[in-house]
Amino acid sequence: MILSSLLLFAAQPLQAEAPEPTREPTGRVTVYRLGQVETLEGDAQKNVSLLVRDGVIERMGQALIIPDHAEVIDLRRSGQVATPPLVLTHANWLIEGRRSGGRNSQFLAVDSLWLEADWEQDLLEEGVLLVGVDPPGSGLPGRTSVLEVDGQTGQPEPLVADLHLKVTMATSSSAKKLVRDAWKAAEDAIAKEEKAEKDWKKAREEWEAKQKEKEEAAKKEEEDKKDGNTAAQDGGKDKKEQEEKAPPETFEPPKMKSDVTPLVEWVRQERVGQLWLRSASDWLHWQDLLGERELSYEIVLRHGRSQNFGEVASVLATTGLRVEVPAVISFLPFTRVRANLPAELAAAGVEKLILAPPNDSLSGVRSWRLGAARVVAEGLDRQVALRGMSLEAAASLGQEELIAPLKTGSPATFVIWSGDPLDPMSEVDLVVSAGKVVYDRAKKEKEEAR
Amino acid sequence: MNLLSLLLLVFPAAPVAPLDSPFLWQEPPVEEVVEEEVAEEPVEEVTEQEPAEDEVEEVVEEEEEDPNAEDPNSPYLAIIGGDIHTVSDGLIRKGTILCKEGRILKVGRRVKLPKGARRVDATGMQVYPGLIAVRTNGIVSGRGTNIADDFDPFGLNVDLGLAGGLTTVESGNGIAKLTRGTLDGTLLGTTGWINLNYSSTSPGSRRQVRAEFSKVRDFLRERRAWETAKAMGEEEGEEPEAKGLKSGYLELLEGKAIARFNANGLKDLLSICDLLDEYPMQSVIFGGQEAWACAGRLGRVGARLVITPRAKSWADDSLNRPSGWSIENAKILWEHGVTFSILPQQTFISTGGLAGRDLLNLPMEAAFAIRGGLPQQAALQALTLDAAKILGMDDRLGTIEVGKDADIIICDGDLFHYRTFVEWSVVNGRVAYDKAKAPYFAHIRPREVPSMDELVEEIQRAADALEEEAGNAEGDVETVEEEVSTAEIDAPGGF
Repeated sequence: MILSSLLLFAAQPLQAEAPEPTREPTGRVTVYRLGQVETLEGDAQKNVSLLVRDGVIERMGQALIIPDHAEVIDLRRSGQVATPPLVLTHANWLIEGRRSGGRNSQFLAVDSLWLEADWEQDLLEEGVLLVGVDPPGSGLPGRTSVLEVDGQTGQPEPLVADLHLKVTMATSSSAKKLVRDAWKAAEDAIAKEEKAEKDWKKAREEWEAKQKEKEEAAKKEEEDKKDGNTAAQDGGKDKKEQEEKAPPETFEPPKMKSDVTPLVEWVRQERVGQLWLRSASDWLHWQDLLGERELSYEIVLRHGRSQNFGEVASVLATTGLRVEVPAVISFLPFTRVRANLPAELAAAGVEKLILAPPNDSLSGVRSWRLGAARVVAEGLDRQVALRGMSLEAAASLGQEELIAPLKTGSPATFVIWSGDPLDPMSEVDLVVSAGKVVYDRAKKEKEEAR
Repeated sequence: MNLLSLLLLVFPAAPVAPLDSPFLWQEPPVEEVVEEEVAEEPVEEVTEQEPAEDEVEEVVEEEEEDPNAEDPNSPYLAIIGGDIHTVSDGLIRKGTILCKEGRILKVGRRVKLPKGARRVDATGMQVYPGLIAVRTNGIVSGRGTNIADDFDPFGLNVDLGLAGGLTTVESGNGIAKLTRGTLDGTLLGTTGWINLNYSSTSPGSRRQVRAEFSKVRDFLRERRAWETAKAMGEEEGEEPEAKGLKSGYLELLEGKAIARFNANGLKDLLSICDLLDEYPMQSVIFGGQEAWACAGRLGRVGARLVITPRAKSWADDSLNRPSGWSIENAKILWEHGVTFSILPQQTFISTGGLAGRDLLNLPMEAAFAIRGGLPQQAALQALTLDAAKILGMDDRLGTIEVGKDADIIICDGDLFHYRTFVEWSVVNGRVAYDKAKAPYFAHIRPREVPSMDELVEEIQRAADALEEEAGNAEGDVETVEEEVSTAEIDAPGGF
């Protein structure tokens, strides 16, 4: 205490002159000794130490030489488990905005954020370090964004402001018409651009040819001059006119409407779509719409009135697309026949499976691990479930480098649970992001008790 | 101990094979439909792709190991061994229907199956064309041509419709097939019905309808005169233009559309007959409770009806004319040659509501007409071919004939018997419903019956057991017989 107050005292005059940047723990080594690590790449490892330096797992193994002065956090005896952090693809309670239908692809989710002061604590408590948010509404409501949960309060800078183009599909002629019209608008815009480019090219070539002619004429004139003939007097005027008309050197595409640009990018396969489906028939109608068209997109399954995605599980698997599904055991419509959709999809061969919370709300996140545990108890592979809650979700948000399997060389980003993460009684003890502790339950509880 | 009692001991609740109930209708004389006969009139495109018979035979020879192996991707579907009620051609006992790519390719007793054909074993079952409901609500979502984009091929009501034997339904003037699990071939077309309000309660609109028709008729006369003049090479003026005519009315008088009326009372029915006399056109009348009282008139004007045999209205004693409903309505209409279809009181499928009076039980409504004297064959026709005629789709639907759509239902008994279930519904040559696999009725009188070999084996085992027991009891036969009788009495289930 005394030492720190002394330090503070000493630091104050310095700070007044030039505020020192918070120092990164460069070179400092922290060793986490753990009973179990779910690396999510291969089986879980027991009695492992993670040696963290500069935010990276420098070494990992059962017998590590611990350097001097390393901070050792020994968690072996309390049954704690480390996993990569959870990633929430749709933290949609953070979004406040009009729930529109129709074509609104110009909107960005990040523009409608509505964050309470302690929004991050809620997520960290559940071991979530990365969230995707998407614009509310149906049809083509806008584009999704990604936020990092780093424990610092205040309006965050989005990690990615503009990611997927959200499309909601429904078994209705109006929903299909909307998408058809959107593609038409995009194709019209592309055609317009192509035409403009063609026109520009033509104009440019003509202009260049004329320039050449002009130059030749000038040369000839000079030669003529040399020969002694008098030059034509209106040549200078011509040149001036042509210079004024000269088309730009590089092609400038005509401006597109802001809601059309993302669609054009999607049609050109420069952007990934996020297709929301509510029933198996939505998928068939989507296939009908799509026809021969090739697009890149991911699939988000949400249970509507009918929970019958099992009907198309094998077809979904053959597409090789990433599929997100809520961790729920549902009943087949109007029956008491239980359906474990995540397990069905995995069994059908869906490899990129995201296991989302039972619903897109905070309470959904709080019952996420419980839902996952049920789904695992009734047949889904545990590793698939855990990967689906973290790595696959991170990959969907384009952040597979940020949240990676726990191994040597990976960023030191992990969650330490008080027990098995799929035990709903377990709590998050520690969240470490790139070597920095961003959430510490013991510390927080102490603060709250004060 | 005879074989029968042994059988009873082993299979006390073994399903009884086809019904021999008195409800079974007098079947028409069996016309033997021979494959060669049928093959004379196949659809062109089908014949082209039809494998030559020698080829088929060869193929069968090659497949010596298992000639019955099924290829799930085969374009062929064979429905084998059932009694086929063709509607167009009487009954074919133990016949086979071969379908290819959604159409019926062959029907008959001796049909050779191509290699890999998918099979449905309909032995002991009754096979009918898929039933058609000429008006529905909520079985398919969407109306008109929008059905294609609004259809939920996994919807509960689609499943239940198929379980009730429906394969085609009308919805908001659109005609949809219950293509479960696929969107291919759902929308069949539109009905071309044009609603006319011609009720005695609104004389104003009646006058208006007649006035509009009069205008159209004048126009048609004018145009015909012009066409005649043109054809004769006489001096022709401008072609008369169809101006100021009410939309649809011209199509009606040109025979391109069907007029749709709602009428139950005799007065309304007769006035519609008057209108049809004056302006001949295709028509369909929904209701027709008192149609029995003017059946001859309806037959003469060619009106088609959609009736509900169990819809009641009491006779009005104050009238000096026949009135009220009659259980014989359908029979009388049939006797007068009126084409009619049948709908239940509720044109949707309800999992609550009035059990047995919704589209889950369409044949029950028709069974009531049979009770009133309608021949069973006519009742079947009302739910299939005549319904197809009313929808204007009789070129594709309504019978089991070569070239027609492969929309077929296979029932475990007579269609009009209350205990009959649809076992399979085939739509466009695909098995769209299978009772044993769908979660609704699989548990009621399950289809799985033991094979002959299994039966013999079971009997042998039971006989051995009895013998052994008899040996143990040192020839005390009486005890054994007692046990047999107890087993019979205690046996659960049975019909």
